[in-house]
Amino acid sequence: MSDTASGAAAPARHDMVLGIVRKDHVQRYSTLVVLVLMFIVFSLTVDRFLTSQNLLNIAQQISMLTIVGAGLTFGFAAREMDLSVGFTVGLAGVLVPLLLVAGTPLPLALLAGLGAGLAVGLMNAFFVTIVGIPSLIATLASGSILFGINFLMTGGRAIYGGLPPAYLWLGQGRILGIPVLAFFMLGAVALAWFVMERTVFGRYVYAVGGNQKAAELSGVQVRRYRAASLVVCSLFAVIAGTLLAARLGSGQPNAGERYLLDGLATVFIGMTMLRPGTATVLGTFFGALFIGIINNGLNLMGMDTYIQSIVKGAIILVAVAIVSRSTKLNLL
Amino acid sequence: MDVHLADIVMQFPGTRALDGVSVTFRNNEVHGLIGENGAGKSTLVNILGGSLQPSQGQVMIGDKAVRLSSPHDALLQGIAHVSQEGSLVPGLNGAENILLGHEPKLAGIVIRKGALQRHAAELVSQWFPKVSIDLNRPVAELPMADRKVIEIVRALRGSPRIVILDEPTATLPAREKEQLWQIIRSLPPQGVGVVLISHFLSEIKALSDRITVLRDGRHICSEPAEALSEDQLVELMLRRTGGAQLRGAAASTTQADAPLVLDVRDWHVGAVHVPHFSLRAGEIVGLIGLTGAGHFGFARSLHNPAGARCQTLTIAGKPTELGPPRKMQDAGIALVPDHRMEYALIGEWTLRENLSMVHPNHGTIAGGILSPRREETEARRVMKLMNVKAHSSRQLLRELSGGNKQKISIGKWLYGASDRYRVMIFIEPTEGVDIGAKAEIYAEMRRLAGQGVGIIIASSDLLEIESVAHRVIPFVRQGPGPEIHAADFSESTFITAISGAAA
Repeated sequence: MSDTASGAAAPARHDMVLGIVRKDHVQRYSTLVVLVLMFIVFSLTVDRFLTSQNLLNIAQQISMLTIVGAGLTFGFAAREMDLSVGFTVGLAGVLVPLLLVAGTPLPLALLAGLGAGLAVGLMNAFFVTIVGIPSLIATLASGSILFGINFLMTGGRAIYGGLPPAYLWLGQGRILGIPVLAFFMLGAVALAWFVMERTVFGRYVYAVGGNQKAAELSGVQVRRYRAASLVVCSLFAVIAGTLLAARLGSGQPNAGERYLLDGLATVFIGMTMLRPGTATVLGTFFGALFIGIINNGLNLMGMDTYIQSIVKGAIILVAVAIVSRSTKLNLL
Repeated sequence: MDVHLADIVMQFPGTRALDGVSVTFRNNEVHGLIGENGAGKSTLVNILGGSLQPSQGQVMIGDKAVRLSSPHDALLQGIAHVSQEGSLVPGLNGAENILLGHEPKLAGIVIRKGALQRHAAELVSQWFPKVSIDLNRPVAELPMADRKVIEIVRALRGSPRIVILDEPTATLPAREKEQLWQIIRSLPPQGVGVVLISHFLSEIKALSDRITVLRDGRHICSEPAEALSEDQLVELMLRRTGGAQLRGAAASTTQADAPLVLDVRDWHVGAVHVPHFSLRAGEIVGLIGLTGAGHFGFARSLHNPAGARCQTLTIAGKPTELGPPRKMQDAGIALVPDHRMEYALIGEWTLRENLSMVHPNHGTIAGGILSPRREETEARRVMKLMNVKAHSSRQLLRELSGGNKQKISIGKWLYGASDRYRVMIFIEPTEGVDIGAKAEIYAEMRRLAGQGVGIIIASSDLLEIESVAHRVIPFVRQGPGPEIHAADFSESTFITAISGAAA
């Protein structure tokens, strides 16, 4: 039948590139190398880039994005895409300030924000796993619904004035000179990493995304984990939204919108590295850094935001091209 | 002109599916191609039909070497392939299916319905004047034999010199077979050679002018059909070097009074009906049958009973309700499925992660938190037990050979649990597995049985069944036939039992 020896392990062989670097290392780390190079180039060419103030600034700018991305990573790991995530950010971003302005105590308002996230996540999960609509379509529709709700709640206006200082501190304060937001970001990354890499829950989410049929035949309750991944997406999104409004000092119904595209971009960039083709929390974190550094660098160079948008779109295309060439990227 | 395959070698990662096969197919004969599962029949016809490109060797038409880089290429060279599964569009009618992609059009855009029906009807009557098929009905509503005829007519559209028919009668009820047989016989006189693959030896014998036997990827012989008896064919297909050593320890008989680990009554799944099935601790029961006979469906449904119903299900003495795989596992049923990369494993995962997929909780510290150290220890234990050849438990699964992958697929059920399962179901447990690993997998099954696990093995490798099973249940037309006991085991008994009434 076969002449392959089953009696001896094949020797460790690695495809090499240019005879010096292992091919799998190139796949895993080239995006990181690009990230470092970009950092160096900006440091050398842009005046105010490499200052502690600016670096903290970047940390602050990417913290919400990272949190949204960490949530999306759960979805991607289970092969579910949440396109409502931007509007979910917006939902918390208006709901929490609205409640606070109306005099609700801070802890209660924060809980209400989380509750809203849970509700959105469960709604998405219901349509995806019980009704059976592909997540891409179900969340596109629920996003539209949320968009409407956000504007209805605020009448289209920003909510400001009367927000308690303790709330604003979450988005603007510093501890030992480091933005509070950065702690939230690191906390979210650490938590998401731990859950994905070190718990049975994370293992099952990856199993469902890795091979749904095999997971099912191994006794994984596939639906439950697909649903959970969508709920986690929404929960991370409302946390980001709550922080976003605190940072802006006002609740703006459309402030969350850019987090959809940017969030997807961080995950896609993350999928080009570490475990190519798989969404990982650390990959997403580096993806957010990537986006943050580009935005910041271009900003300091005086590029206008439309150019940034073009650059970002191009990066997403490149990242997705890399991912789908090396692996079977199949999200629908 | 003849089509000649010369010294064809097909190397897949881990297995050599064809090893220097040479055979000539003529356009005035029905050429039967036989061999047991894994002998290389499918690979050979896939090369002939352009779906696969050989690692070595040549396809010659007449005395010209050709490259068949796609089925379309093969078609242009006059070789058409009618696959086993069927390739009709169910919602279209017969005529539309026959001329799919070659519809007569008005101004190149609008399909001319009338001309299409006429043209299709002409094709049918040109090739098979005696056949009448309703070409206006959606093919989904036609009898299986008519659908097959439509597929064949479509294959004949370009007047090929060779038509490959892969198990054309496997899905047909007995009374419809005769019609198809006549059609097959009528082709060579019209200058179209037929390459026929079939599990039914009597059919091969009755229809073929010449018969080629493959075994383990090697060409055994090509002889005129009348020169070989069915017994000789079975002998040629199955006698193999290494067979004796695989058999190893003779199947030990189990205690007739061992406790029942599984007992089901009136099990229905799809069209399959099993009035009664029981399995004792330590027993290995083989399920055999032709494609579509229902043995695979029955075996699978015991672990994943979606769509199944039954009167009673008793697992290890406890009456159990049907439920999703998770529930059946908790009740003590494990499944090692076929097509492991599709149904069992994740290629991009490490061996350790794959092994822990069923029982990740074993490797946890508390509350669902995984301990890499515990996982590593357990993964190593299972890899050692199963004799998995790999650099480490951190290696990616996709890098392993077929045999080692299969060992991981089995090992999943032993990770964190040596005696959790009372019933283990194996489907095609050695498909794409080399001979050394085969023997190890059989030994593992015997070891598990020795520990009191009841084992069900559904396989199309009859030699495998003969060497590991204690008793065999042949499936014919969606249900079990009379049981075969170890004393009566032989390939020919098996083949008679599974084809018998149907042929």
